[in-house]
Amino acid sequence: MNNQAPKPEKGTWVGQPLRRREEGRLVRGQGLFVEDYKLQGMLYLQFVRSPYAHARIDRVDVSKALTAPGVLAVLTGAEVAARVQPFIEIGPGAQGKVIDYPMATDKVRYQGEPVAAVVAESRNAAEDAAELVEVEYHALVPVLDAELALKNESLVHDQNGSNVVWHGNFEYGEVDKAFQEAANIVSIGRMHFHRFSSTPLENNGIIATWDPKKESIHFLSTNSFPAFAAQFLSPALGVGIDQIQMESRDIGGGFGIKITTYPQMAVCALASKQLGGRPVKWIETRTEHMLASAHGNERTFLDTRVALDKNGVITAIESRHIDDCGAYPRYEPLGCIIWAQVLPGAYRFRNYRVDFTQVVSNKCPVGPNRGYSRMQHLWFLERVIDICGHELGIPTDEMRLRNYIRTEEFPYTTPNGCIYDSGNYARMLEIAKGLVGWDGWKEKQKQARQEGRMLGLGIGSTLDSGTNNFGQARIINAFAPYSGQSKAANVKLDIYGEVVVSLGSVPQGQGHETTAAQVVAEVLRVPPDMIVVRPGFDTEHNVYTGHTGTYASQFAVTGLSAIHGAAEKLRAEIARLAAFVLKAKESELEFGVGKMGPEVRVKGTDRSINYWGLANLVNVNNAELPMDMADITLNCRYVYKAPFAVPDVEKKYGNLTLTYAAQLHIAVMEVDRETYQPKILAYAAVDDCGTKINPLIVEGQVHGATAHGIGAALMENCVYDPEGNMLTATFSDYTPITVMNMPDLACGGLETPSPFSYNGAKGMGEGGAAPLHTICAALQDALYSRKIIIHDSHNSGDSIFHALQGDSAKPAPAVHVERRA
Amino acid sequence: MSPYPFHYHRAHTLAEAVTLLAQLGGEGQLLAGGQSLIPLMKLRLARPGALVDLNFVPGLSAIDEHSGEIRMGAMARHAALEDSELVARVPILHDCAAGIADSQVRNMGTIGGSVAEADPSGDWVAVLLTLGAQVRCTGPQGERIMPVSDFVTDAYTTMLGPAEIVQEIRVKLPPAKSGGAFIAFKRCASVYASASAAVQLTLGDGDICRDIHIALGCVGLTAVVPIAAQDALRGKPVSAKSIENAADAAMAAAEPQSDMRGSADYKRVLVRAVVKRAIDIAARRARGERVEAGHEYVARV
Repeated sequence: MNNQAPKPEKGTWVGQPLRRREEGRLVRGQGLFVEDYKLQGMLYLQFVRSPYAHARIDRVDVSKALTAPGVLAVLTGAEVAARVQPFIEIGPGAQGKVIDYPMATDKVRYQGEPVAAVVAESRNAAEDAAELVEVEYHALVPVLDAELALKNESLVHDQNGSNVVWHGNFEYGEVDKAFQEAANIVSIGRMHFHRFSSTPLENNGIIATWDPKKESIHFLSTNSFPAFAAQFLSPALGVGIDQIQMESRDIGGGFGIKITTYPQMAVCALASKQLGGRPVKWIETRTEHMLASAHGNERTFLDTRVALDKNGVITAIESRHIDDCGAYPRYEPLGCIIWAQVLPGAYRFRNYRVDFTQVVSNKCPVGPNRGYSRMQHLWFLERVIDICGHELGIPTDEMRLRNYIRTEEFPYTTPNGCIYDSGNYARMLEIAKGLVGWDGWKEKQKQARQEGRMLGLGIGSTLDSGTNNFGQARIINAFAPYSGQSKAANVKLDIYGEVVVSLGSVPQGQGHETTAAQVVAEVLRVPPDMIVVRPGFDTEHNVYTGHTGTYASQFAVTGLSAIHGAAEKLRAEIARLAAFVLKAKESELEFGVGKMGPEVRVKGTDRSINYWGLANLVNVNNAELPMDMADITLNCRYVYKAPFAVPDVEKKYGNLTLTYAAQLHIAVMEVDRETYQPKILAYAAVDDCGTKINPLIVEGQVHGATAHGIGAALMENCVYDPEGNMLTATFSDYTPITVMNMPDLACGGLETPSPFSYNGAKGMGEGGAAPLHTICAALQDALYSRKIIIHDSHNSGDSIFHALQGDSAKPAPAVHVERRA
Repeated sequence: MSPYPFHYHRAHTLAEAVTLLAQLGGEGQLLAGGQSLIPLMKLRLARPGALVDLNFVPGLSAIDEHSGEIRMGAMARHAALEDSELVARVPILHDCAAGIADSQVRNMGTIGGSVAEADPSGDWVAVLLTLGAQVRCTGPQGERIMPVSDFVTDAYTTMLGPAEIVQEIRVKLPPAKSGGAFIAFKRCASVYASASAAVQLTLGDGDICRDIHIALGCVGLTAVVPIAAQDALRGKPVSAKSIENAADAAMAAAEPQSDMRGSADYKRVLVRAVVKRAIDIAARRARGERVEAGHEYVARV
């Protein structure tokens, strides 16, 4: 093996930049993805999808499709509705009235919504027959704008009586008093965070197999939060949770948007049940993925007012936010609280009031998308900081330094009770400025401005809150039976002494196999390549809890804590057993690798026993063991419980997340005077995710998150026309970022260990969509002198051109400064 | 998605391909590199009854110099053209070949397929127009050769008869003191450009523009030749002012449509910018400078 880093110092493998052990398999095409599985008797499912965004279904005629070659069944929405219960809704009251079936029944609510499903012997046959399903629609007025949705002139869910599915007031501190005492008040009109998504290499895939004998259902799928999906599927299908077997193997990226695939899973399950338990496979096409999997939340910010003292220190913010969750809330309205994990962002203000509303619309339902719900809010705060800085004549770096939480204030309790574990934002800014060459660019900027060039420097301060407290769901719905956070893992010595780690996580490229091996290697003092790691979620491994999945930036904390706990348990059992065999005290033992493989020896002697010997004693040769050692199994399961309490639902107060990784990015950008294209001249990314378990994996995630954010800021946008047709359902139109667009990244880091995780690590990988804030800040700096306020998170050469012409479709918000000092 | 069912025919000679096409009538369609046709079939937007595969016809992908011409076989892949030292002697050809989509597309896609498809957003036709390229075709009535300007008649429409095949593209090696440049602005690697400009400019004494050919891609039903823009430079000194005038004239000649690649207004602005840059680089290359040109992308400097 050529992938081992230099020998670890101090006997620890944690912190080493090991290359990912899963890479060899994945890049050689030896991974096992859903599409790779060909099962005996397997059938293929093809959805018939709505061409309309909003329409009544008058008639579905499947007779021609049913008689097409190779077709075994055609399911309609009405038939599915007769066989399942609607999915549970997380939200209370109004949202509880949303009726969400796996396929459209009475009407369609977004373009691409499934109205029928054809099951056939081959994929081609299913595709051919799907075109024979005849559906008569009666078009209805689509709801495509969050502010218009509030008027309820057209309803997405008629029985709900309103397009509002969640509303809450969040108020902390003394907002009115702060505004009365403010030296300056800055008012900002409408701002908008656009809808975009992730573009994983692998689209969604499912194989559902109903077992008529056991009355159970097996899913092999790309779902990235299977324990959660099972909790939705169980009541809908009328099958006990224990009868739902969930399995995942390699997954080609996810970024959160593979969490909400349970409707498609339900349809596949029903089809398999109807057809006597033959496996039913569904593989999503790219266009289906873009149209109808999940997008990120779109959010509109209205009536923002900011109170500042005479030095530009923000004392209060008030605003009105409208979140658009698309046609069905599903995982929402959790997004209505998840933003509050980072309520003050990186800043010290204590007084905050927001009126938060979530509406449904005739667009694709949203799902958690890398930086989920926090990025919208962080973008808003960063726009506030920048606009205030520019309006008050305070340089944007100085503006941040005056408002940042100080490093000596950590752990820092935010106005809403979240506890920021550790950080040093001012130092990160300093590092980023050094990396990008801030002072030099400032000089060049002066020169460039004299030449009439539009060059700007922008800072983005971002938090990636990780390890979420599901208790925040109670703030959304006081009766939601969720709280806390947990993960399970199993580490064992198998019969021939192999160390085997079973994960409950659902890696989609995050390198869990590698970091899991590093942690166990550290505990047992053996090299990571001697440790077998079983990747992929499988209920039959029995290493899951209701929180199990890969989401919310947490594996380094929750997953590795569970693995570490299990490894420590195993180490303790091994030590007890070895002390007996070697007739020594446990304190005299040391772990390591000898001539016969991993072993335990008595320090300073040649007395040792290897792992085979130990495992043999327990599993095969146990008459040699006394009965008081019968509790030793060498098969250790550990459940990590995060140290959370249930938040105060009335006050919307409590600790919502355990760790706070931070990203400090700086972009130097120039708007080309001829093409109006925003060009990135220099880019620095500084990341603090506490103690790094594997710096190489961290850097890979930083690069990936940065690319995703740059793509979102300048290229990627889910565009709907006035009829609700999605205009960006192919890559040619959506244009996900490619390497040809990427600037060189100057990467740097800082490690402020988290006091709340055993290893000092903080979850990371979402990157808080840092480039969105950073690029908008740089464009603001470049264009402020031309009276442009950057008010949308998506900016293209085209939109900048029209803004400079003064003929933008959505004009810039009015910004007003009231100086009272 | 997978395509509708179709019949597959593998031609082993050009004559066999012509015969097959003639026999199949309207049902048959040629398969060259397949980088447009196959995706269209998989999206079920194209439904040919039969494909005649040209990939196994020997000798169709040669790139040779002959009588002062570069002759590029219709099946020459973009990647082969990108790597060809002969093609590199005409920099505008290299600019074009090296930036078409991504390397996977360039490894398969062919110049003949691109010209025959006559997609208004394709890169090659605009470039070939500025070089006065000739298209050699073979059909049931034998061979004929015509300028690319005559060959492409409308969007996705050419002079090709029902069973006629593009066999070769011929480009005269430009004279001394001639330089060309192709600038295409596109959002990311794998998509068509939003606007492109091809310019081939020949200098006379005293930096006078002796001759110039300009063609605009993606902003009309076929590549647009902006006559007034050429007139703004031909016979005049190459200066910032004359380049500006030509770029303004090119902008006026463009007839773009609004789509996800940009609004029509914005595409006109892009046309002005890419024409300006292409003329500037063409002139510098004509003076013997080595300057980069080709495809440009969002965000990247």
